[in-house]
Amino acid sequence: MLEGLRTAAAGMQAQQQKLDAVANDLANANTNGYKRLRVGFSDLLYEQGGRPTTTAEAQFGTGARALSLGRTFQQGALRETGRTLDVAIQGEGFLRVRLADGRQALTRDGNLQIDGSGRLVTPYGGVVEPTIRVPEGTNESDITIGRDGTVSANGRPLGRIAIVNVRSPQGLESAGDNAYVTTGRSGNAVAAPATTVLTQGALEASNTDMAQAMTEMIEAQRTYQLTSKAIQTADTMMEIANGVKR
Amino acid sequence: MLAEQLRQDQIANDLANASTAGYKAERTIQRSFGELLLTNSVTGATIGSQSTAVQVTGTVTDWTPQPVKETGEPLDFAIVGEGFFAVRTGDGVRYTRNGAFAADANGVLVTSAGDPVLGRNNQPVRVGADGKVDPRALNVVLLANPEKAGNNLVTGTPAAGAAGAVRSGALEGSGADPTQSMVDMIASMRAYEAGQKVIRTIDETLGKAASSVGSLT
Repeated sequence: MLEGLRTAAAGMQAQQQKLDAVANDLANANTNGYKRLRVGFSDLLYEQGGRPTTTAEAQFGTGARALSLGRTFQQGALRETGRTLDVAIQGEGFLRVRLADGRQALTRDGNLQIDGSGRLVTPYGGVVEPTIRVPEGTNESDITIGRDGTVSANGRPLGRIAIVNVRSPQGLESAGDNAYVTTGRSGNAVAAPATTVLTQGALEASNTDMAQAMTEMIEAQRTYQLTSKAIQTADTMMEIANGVKR
Repeated sequence: MLAEQLRQDQIANDLANASTAGYKAERTIQRSFGELLLTNSVTGATIGSQSTAVQVTGTVTDWTPQPVKETGEPLDFAIVGEGFFAVRTGDGVRYTRNGAFAADANGVLVTSAGDPVLGRNNQPVRVGADGKVDPRALNVVLLANPEKAGNNLVTGTPAAGAAGAVRSGALEGSGADPTQSMVDMIASMRAYEAGQKVIRTIDETLGKAASSVGSLT
């Protein structure tokens, strides 16, 4: 009797997950180097006939579910900050960092700092790999970071920030704090193509597009609403069926 | 009434899949059961035919290609025109029009369920070092009698003919039309209501027959 109730509920749940993803994107609209989430949908199993007054040719779907499709690694807009330790990646690629727990990770957040022992670190404590030490007494404004990642202070080279890339960034796993760790699906980190360059004095903004996020939110919300109407109708039909016996 | 319930279930599924890439909308076909020819039991004159009920004989899927939406993702593919992507699943080769693919641990192009997508030579397609796949490398198959199998998959027999072209960085939209579904839903509910009224009228008539006929006062 009226499987449509559950079918519609499954559809609503899928839209809810889409809304959660959009909410997360919007919450990170100002996070440096944030990449927005992708949600896809899939239909569920089909029931072949097997109900009163149907033939075997009739088939009935049982709803939809949401699928996580990873992230969109489209380039975010560059924001000028003028700070010498800010670097933005232009093109595909990541900075390689070692997280506090010892794991190797990748990030596109180039808001670099100098820690207590003079090393270049990300704001969340990830140490830039290979380790680059800034000598004591160096003025922050004297540091230059070249397009290829070469770091120098007063013209003296200190090291080179490695820019790496993976085969399919969609397969990366979020480690929090703007960092990702590689998985089998993403492939290993290899040197990024030469077209990927660093820009000093700028940061990459979040690639959440407000207008698009809003459109997606409205779309998901309306679909949610429409699907809820199917539940309402199924409910009314049950009421009508109840009305057969007064 | 039972047939309308089924129609309602099918509409609910269309609505639930209003955002599913490559989803195809469905319609139920209803047909009346065999009709009875009524005759006057005294004179033998025919009165007319009477239908006994309605049954759902099948669901038709509207396989018309839907508009393609740009996503800009390297591993999203859409077929512009007819045809399906071939996918190797545990149950044999299946087909799909949902081209939201990804790379697996071996660098093979897979569906969101992890099943390899087949190329022109019926072998899995490898994702290039740049994370891209040439859309022309993907096999597009025309099917003679496609039938939905769930999880975005379709079964069928490959047929000859010119299949559509594959475009990367795009997905096919859902074929579910919420406006049409809403209208159908209301129509179906009212038909259901009418069915209920018929039952109640028959009940009243029988009630009359049981209580009034033969009553002397």
